Amino acid sequence: MNIICVVKIVPDVDSFAYDYENNTLIRENIRMILNPDDACALACALKVKAGRPDCSIEVVTMGPKAVKPHMEDLLRLDADRGTIISDPAYRGSDTYVTSRILARYLSTRQFDVLLTGSHALDGDTSHVPAQLGEELDLEQMSGITAVDFERFDSRRAVFEVEYESSVVTWEMALPAILSLDRESGYTLPYVKYEDFQRDVSGKLTIIGNPELGFEPGEVGSDGSLTEVVRTYTQRFETRERRIVRNDDAGIEDVFNFLLEKGFL
Amino acid sequence: MNRILVFQDTEHIENTIDLLAVAEKMYAEEPFESYALVIAGSDSSDSTGGPSAANGPAGPLTGFFQKVIQLSHEIVEPHDQIGICEVLTELQKEYKFDAILVPATPFGRMIAPRLAKRLHTGIVADVTDIRQKDGRVEIIRPAYSGRIMAAIVTRGSGPVMMSVRPGVFKYSDGGGVDTEVSEYNRPVEAHSSLKPLEVKEKKISYDIRESDILISGGGGVLRNFAGLEHLAEALQGRVSASRKIVDRGIAPRSIQVGQSGRTVSPRLYIALGINGAIQHVEGMQNIESIIAVNTNRNAPICSLSDIVVEGDAMEFIDKLTDRIEAFRKGAQE
Repeated sequence: MNIICVVKIVPDVDSFAYDYENNTLIRENIRMILNPDDACALACALKVKAGRPDCSIEVVTMGPKAVKPHMEDLLRLDADRGTIISDPAYRGSDTYVTSRILARYLSTRQFDVLLTGSHALDGDTSHVPAQLGEELDLEQMSGITAVDFERFDSRRAVFEVEYESSVVTWEMALPAILSLDRESGYTLPYVKYEDFQRDVSGKLTIIGNPELGFEPGEVGSDGSLTEVVRTYTQRFETRERRIVRNDDAGIEDVFNFLLEKGFL
Repeated sequence: MNRILVFQDTEHIENTIDLLAVAEKMYAEEPFESYALVIAGSDSSDSTGGPSAANGPAGPLTGFFQKVIQLSHEIVEPHDQIGICEVLTELQKEYKFDAILVPATPFGRMIAPRLAKRLHTGIVADVTDIRQKDGRVEIIRPAYSGRIMAAIVTRGSGPVMMSVRPGVFKYSDGGGVDTEVSEYNRPVEAHSSLKPLEVKEKKISYDIRESDILISGGGGVLRNFAGLEHLAEALQGRVSASRKIVDRGIAPRSIQVGQSGRTVSPRLYIALGINGAIQHVEGMQNIESIIAVNTNRNAPICSLSDIVVEGDAMEFIDKLTDRIEAFRKGAQE
């Protein structure tokens, strides 16, 4: 069984801090991480592979060449092959173009299932898995919280998706795209100590537009169908806060406030 | 005249109407023609979200949209994203909509980008605002978990497409529009292979978006989260939570407030031991009164509050609950 995981290295946005008083975002020294939902996808692939010698995993990402050390770490786990799609011409690609680029590469590969994350920390559009589905003429499912490893082969997959008031077990024919949610709790193993420095360069390929052959106007911001015209930090309305203590007088103050406002 | 199509909110059909507020903001003063596509029977929805058999799936939308197109489950199953995508594509060919708006429910967020790709048009995800700027429509959405807002314009010749974050836009017009209801009855060629094998109902029974009073807990009440229920009961409100509580498995995702949870607009929000990370605050919209209880008076949430109680949240719950109960008892006597 051939599994391809499509992943993304993203800024760790949880380490951003925000100053509400001045409405500014503090963005210095942000570290890059494997997108958490995508980590679940790879962890899920590794679970499928465990005990199945016929199973192979390829990890595919698109981004700047600087993601190489991150990809090498993933290859020090039990992934068989890594591919970085990187080209300056692809910079600024929206999801429409990104899914097109990924699809052109993926259509040259043999696979039974594509595993991705559902949400990304940075853009969080969740568009790429669905649009990849449309490009490759595959079905796609988001928000997967559990995979039934007993019923997971090259023909079909059984998995759970959690909704607002129910959990539904679905069966889907493969090949298809399955997008994992962080709620699945599948976590990547640590790289073994003896593997820290292991040379995995033989398993990693970097390709770009010479291999994929897009025309200049088709990719990057020129080829995109959405354009970010500006970004800003949201202004939050600060209030005239009254600070009280957690004593009888403070409680009385809160109580009177609730009474005045009609909450009691 | 501009013509828009709204795809049904698959969780709460009545929320479909709120997307008319998006169209109003897009077209400012100009009139527009409104269409809605609704699907009969929806297994990814909860019991309140499914269309009622008594008055047909179009029921709640009657009086708000000019045309409601019903799609029977005999033609396409409600979870069949491939089939529904085909229906939407056919409708676009026929009516040439200027915009297609999809509620950003889990199902909506799968179908909208697929449809945009098929129609070769740009799409914006999880939209929270629309602005007119320099004579064009800017579509606003949060990025980086709500830390940055991005203003986006779409290009291309297809319809403007977006998925719209539930609970943010409110359509307050009373309705009274003459609604023409029709059935979609062309055959659908491609279908999904997806089959539901089992449906387990979850036990959480309330929707935090429907509550006027929310008692919300964060990292400061990790050990005593269940205690929030006392105050919620005394105030006849509901308990909600921050991501920290949900990520620890203490509360279900369905009661999480914030960018990765729900957007809420209660009249009163009591934030207990919540620091106020931007991704949480992003989910607090148009709240009349905010009370923060925190051991740190400089926690970010305190700047946004009417009253800050400096101290331990559990102690606060006990004291305030006692005070309210004494008051209620006094009122009865």
